[in-house]
Amino acid sequence: MDLRVVGLTHVYAGAPVLQDIDLEIPSGRILCVVGPSGCGKSTLLRMLGGLERPDAGAVLQVGEPPEGCLNPLTYIFQDFALLPWRSVAGNVALALEDRRLGRAEIARIVDDVLARTRLSAYRDALPRQLSGGMRQRVAIARALAVRPACLLMDEPLSALDAQTRELLMDDLVGLWLREGFTACYVTHNLAEAVRLGHRVAVLSRRPGRVREVIEIDMPLEERAERMPELAVHERRLWQLLREEAAAADQELADV
Amino acid sequence: MARKIMGETRRAAAQGWTRRAALGLAAGLGLGLAMAAGAAAAAEKVAVGALRFTSHAPTFIAYERGYFADEGLDVELKFFQAAQPVAVAVASGDVDFGVTALTGGFFSLADKGAVRVIGGLMSEHPDHDGSAVLVSNKAWDEGVRSMADLRGRSFALTQFGSSFHYMAGRIAEANGFALEDMRLVPLQKVGAMIGALKSGQVDAMAIVPHIARPLDAAGAAHIVGWVRDLGPYQVTTIFTSAANTTERPELVRRFMRAYARGIADYRAVMLDQDRDPAATEAMVDLIHKYVYADRPREKAAPSIKAGAVHLNAGAALDVADVERQLTWFKKHGLAPAGLTMDKLVDPRFQPAGE
Amino acid sequence: MSEPACAHAREGARPVPYRGGGFAPRPRRWAGAAFLAGLIAFWEMCSRLGWISPLALPAPSEALAALRDLAQSGLLAKHLGASLGRLAQGWTLGVLAGIAAGLAAGLFSLARAGILPLVAALFPIPKIALLPLFIIWFGIGEESKVATILFGTFFPMTIAVYGGVDNVDRTLIRMGQSFGLSRLSIIRKIVLPGAMPAILSGMRISASIAIILLVAAEMIGAEYGVGAYILLAGNLMATDQLVAGVMILSAMGLTVSWLLGMAERRLLRWRA
Ligand SMILES: Nc1ncnc2c1ncn2[C@@H]1O[C@H](COP(=O)(O)OP(=O)(O)O)[C@@H](O)[C@H]1O
Ligand SMILES: [Mg+2]
Repeated sequence: MDLRVVGLTHVYAGAPVLQDIDLEIPSGRILCVVGPSGCGKSTLLRMLGGLERPDAGAVLQVGEPPEGCLNPLTYIFQDFALLPWRSVAGNVALALEDRRLGRAEIARIVDDVLARTRLSAYRDALPRQLSGGMRQRVAIARALAVRPACLLMDEPLSALDAQTRELLMDDLVGLWLREGFTACYVTHNLAEAVRLGHRVAVLSRRPGRVREVIEIDMPLEERAERMPELAVHERRLWQLLREEAAAADQELADV
Repeated sequence: MARKIMGETRRAAAQGWTRRAALGLAAGLGLGLAMAAGAAAAAEKVAVGALRFTSHAPTFIAYERGYFADEGLDVELKFFQAAQPVAVAVASGDVDFGVTALTGGFFSLADKGAVRVIGGLMSEHPDHDGSAVLVSNKAWDEGVRSMADLRGRSFALTQFGSSFHYMAGRIAEANGFALEDMRLVPLQKVGAMIGALKSGQVDAMAIVPHIARPLDAAGAAHIVGWVRDLGPYQVTTIFTSAANTTERPELVRRFMRAYARGIADYRAVMLDQDRDPAATEAMVDLIHKYVYADRPREKAAPSIKAGAVHLNAGAALDVADVERQLTWFKKHGLAPAGLTMDKLVDPRFQPAGE
Repeated sequence: MSEPACAHAREGARPVPYRGGGFAPRPRRWAGAAFLAGLIAFWEMCSRLGWISPLALPAPSEALAALRDLAQSGLLAKHLGASLGRLAQGWTLGVLAGIAAGLAAGLFSLARAGILPLVAALFPIPKIALLPLFIIWFGIGEESKVATILFGTFFPMTIAVYGGVDNVDRTLIRMGQSFGLSRLSIIRKIVLPGAMPAILSGMRISASIAIILLVAAEMIGAEYGVGAYILLAGNLMATDQLVAGVMILSAMGLTVSWLLGMAERRLLRWRA
């Protein structure tokens, strides 16, 4: 299943946030979206997942989601969005509870994803007992449990420290290599974008428009070793972003 | 001058915890100073607790017509919502005189040596309408026609230990059944009692005639008897602090003389209102300054006239009935067992005046 | 001063002065009980020495004697039974209605527009002022007493629950929606547990208010009940019984607080 954004425009209380966005996320590929903060990345992602309605334009699903997919468009949030009163297993189960699956089936899926994300030992722990990285792993496990057609990730690593970020990045790459999921990955971190994205879309400052979409054809599994080559892409992205970020920084926030 | 010092000492003492002990000390000191100074010319300050009821009319008459001033009393009226707080205020020394029905709370304060009865005011009299016994329409329809029929019925009170409680006891006694044969329903306020009676949630209550008659006339309830038929009943009494009776008996005597003049004026006019209509209207004007003051005069006047009560000439106290009440309250555990008539009543101050 | 410190002192070095500590009260179970006991002992002493007039305040021993008499007469159980029944009914109904109204106000714009001004307008009305109306609406039986407590607990509960629901992390709700949970599931599994701390603290406040209102509720035609007992003691100026009654109310308050504390520890274990 591909995801296609056509002519998407949105205005919040008179202030345009997104303008004429056109994007394509082909099945099995990762699109990274970078842009200065406040340019509408999260808003765009909410619209991709159907949590918000754009003022103009549309988000289209092209083709059918794969067989056995429970929740085609599935989020991974920056602040994890785990229920603090549920255990690790309980949090994963939550995503499955409204789907007429039967108790045994839910337990089987939970066990399976916890094993795949190497969280089985923590199944009864409460979120407050886990480190930030572990919490995000739980959120990833929860997302995998519903067998998504497309993962929508909103700065999933931004709340973590640098080392944990590295570890999780490796996890995500490994996961993609095994499962080959489709994803839209929003970040303001350019290193992450070039590590994970098959394509990287650069948004301008508010109102966000697509300034450029750059293609990175190096296979994901090789990128950890070929960092210097990636740095070229990163520098290019930075050039594109620099003025936008500087200008965005000067703006008065009016929220 | 001596009395001024005394007043100040009293005020200072009133702020302390051991108010009563300090009061005794101060009063003793004051007495000594007063004797040393001889007859003081300045009027003596006295606080009188009053309720805005027609039955308190003598207080207003004596105040308005200068009878207190004639006795050298500089009276300040302090108004209260109910009689019990007046008794508490007298006990604590904030007020000197008050009028109350005999209630469990009052007996308790008397037992603690704080207050004493010094005269009688309102009473039930065979020739005069006192409190009526009302029954609800529902009870009436079920055949309740007299006080004797109240056995097994519910009876509204303000509170346990109130004069309503006592009247219920008198009704039971007079009709040969036990108080427990009635279901007593405390409702705190007369308004709530009337509401409960009108809506048939209680079967009966006793109430002053100027409330009872309109209810009966409007068909909201039925009068089935009068409390006066149950025999003599000293309804309200005049009281002061025990300290005043022992330490300032002359002051108490002067107060009672002035008060008796107020009673005499009231009796002369209000017990036969047609004899001198002009005097009646003047009396109504005077009372209206204090009672039903929130209503226009033409609306207040009928209530004031209809609410005319029987007051004892000379503030005479029906000591025998007070003893009977005390016995009844003690019997029902509503008064301290150790309270004696000697402690409750100081008979030296009445009859006063004429 | 220890050896090394001495050595350093010779060089003109000294330990950094300690400026931390304090501002961190910790529970001291026995200190609380001891403080209370000390206070009561002091009160007793003042009464015995005549520093406190018996008219102003009875000695604690007299109040305890009144309490013992009450217990021995068997009336204590009767009073307590009547009051606890009214409290349980009024409080439970008030809490349930408050949770429903608070949830509605927290979740639905229309309900919010209707409920919030109503609560603001009605909450400050002293329920005692409505007693005459309650008598007409609910009669002089148990209904009016339960209703008094119900009305008293409903409003603070509504406010607490509304605040709690309003404070539930919106990203959690977004998360629920993003996983396709039904509205009911989101309310049951995300909103309610998220508002649970507020609901429990609302229960605490409303339970105290329920006990406060007990005396008012039992003003209307109550023969038995702790409030009725206190009212009678007041009418009769029996200050020892009055204080005994107040002690019973305090004990009820402590018990309720203890029970809710246990509930909090169980239900809010997930909080740090
Ligand atoms: N619900 C909303 N109502 C009004 N303004 C909003 C809302 N959500 C976001 N905005 C504004 O829209 C702009 C884009 O927000 P967002 O998509 O969160 O930016 P980003 O994720 O790129 O930092 C910001 O200026 C933000 O203040
Ligand atoms: Mg964002």
